[in-house]
Amino acid sequence: MILELTITLVKILFIIGITVGFFAPVLTWVERKQSAIMQDRVGANRADIMGFTALGLFHAIADAIKMFTKEDFVPQGANRFLHTLSPIIAVIPAILTFAVVPFGGQYDLWGTKVNLVISDLDVGLLFVFAIASIATYGYVISGWASNNNWSLLGSMRTASQMISYEVTMGLTIVGVLMVYGTMKLTEIGAAQEDFFNWGFFLQPVGFFMFLAASIAENKRIPFDAPEAESELVAGYFTEYSGLKFGMFFMSEFIEMVTIGAIVTILFFGGWHIPFLSSATLLSWLDFLGTNWANLVLMLINVGVFWAKVIFFIWFQMTIRWTLPRFRYDQIMKLGWKILLPLSLANILITGIVILVVN
Amino acid sequence: MAYFVDRTVKMTWWERSYLPEIMKGMLITSRHFFVNLFGFIPFFLGKKKEREIFTVYYPEEMAHIPIAYRGRPVLAINEHNRPNCVACGLCEAACPAYCIDIIPGENTGKQNQVERWPKEFTIDYAVCIFCGNCEEACPEEAIFMSDDYEIPMLDRKEMKFNLEQLSVPIEKLKDRVEFTRKMYGKWNY
Repeated sequence: MILELTITLVKILFIIGITVGFFAPVLTWVERKQSAIMQDRVGANRADIMGFTALGLFHAIADAIKMFTKEDFVPQGANRFLHTLSPIIAVIPAILTFAVVPFGGQYDLWGTKVNLVISDLDVGLLFVFAIASIATYGYVISGWASNNNWSLLGSMRTASQMISYEVTMGLTIVGVLMVYGTMKLTEIGAAQEDFFNWGFFLQPVGFFMFLAASIAENKRIPFDAPEAESELVAGYFTEYSGLKFGMFFMSEFIEMVTIGAIVTILFFGGWHIPFLSSATLLSWLDFLGTNWANLVLMLINVGVFWAKVIFFIWFQMTIRWTLPRFRYDQIMKLGWKILLPLSLANILITGIVILVVN
Repeated sequence: MAYFVDRTVKMTWWERSYLPEIMKGMLITSRHFFVNLFGFIPFFLGKKKEREIFTVYYPEEMAHIPIAYRGRPVLAINEHNRPNCVACGLCEAACPAYCIDIIPGENTGKQNQVERWPKEFTIDYAVCIFCGNCEEACPEEAIFMSDDYEIPMLDRKEMKFNLEQLSVPIEKLKDRVEFTRKMYGKWNY
């Protein structure tokens, strides 16, 4: 009992540590630095401690200090309670989604079964979408509670955009469900041990649609109409400052990690290495003894999983610094007239193929 | 003049299906990303010469300025440790922004004294427009446009440079002297 509790606690601390503690601050740096390198600039390297710039890594610390020490400003006529509540609603679901995302398989370590997921829900996939949808409330409320026209317009756009793309996202997932026959994310991950069993090969169209829809859900370029700085100042978080703004900022980056993790689990083989099954790896590590071999395998798998997540974060960043923003009607057209019929067709074709193969 | 964007461009099916064109764009940006990523490494290893990236790390290293560039005007100091300037006032007259102020000093009849020299020579860089007319007007090769472009100040008053601040040994201006002889030769020589 206590052992299980400890293991779960360690897993929770690991996830919180790696998302809030590692990815959120580091990604602020990565975004600046990657955009700089892509645009032939030198980029963020001015913040220094005693002359050391560490490639600009201290900008994250500078950011944090700035956000902590800034005035927490609530505009006149704004709803103080909701104004404070909405960043929390926005940031919590982003972290909470990780409760069901497995970052490794199941291992036997000294007689204890270790399942590298905080909570192995049977409806894991549904849980992800249910929780992710809650974040919409945060964005809508923030716009309404700010008593600012830009904010309200931004939050209206957020609401309509997130609702339209959630439909596509949900329908895309149906294809994955049909292929793997389960909603448990651990089982979906485990089913992709064979390279050609990866979701990317079984659901190629689904992968692209899911990626597009999830970037739209995250409101990043090219779908960043809700916070379009040239049109709406900053969209729904125009009136936010200090740590409340930081929460919105953080939620965007954590959501990027979440998207990377879910895409990895659903379409890119989770924690598996292509052409290298766990059994082969175990046989190579046999000289360490069963327990140690399992431990090393676990570490390798966790490393592979996060490497894939980092690749997808890089991919999203590349998209963000490559494409221009869609116009608002183009976003709606893409969502309802192209992606929705395509996802429905995807389900139909998946069903027919499964019927023929079986 | 107003111009109109033709918005009736017929895109091919290939272009309208978004994905291939997006891939193309991402190929370009990620090519830049990787080329620069590995191109920047020699800088951090201290081998500035070997890197193939043209981006200049500005405050740490200066860009190579072409000789025709007009930076801040300076006074050339000759090998006798005196300014070439004879305080004739031609640059003062040529200056369209009136940023040059000269107070001349004259020979009082002493032996071995310079005939005429500037007692004070002030250029207000806050007023200067870097046109290079002073350089062109100078008959004595005394004032030159240097390649120094780093003259921002926190206080406007500090931008008034006096004789000592303006002085630059002529060896440092050799290329510019050559250049001016070639450029303004038809007037001055």
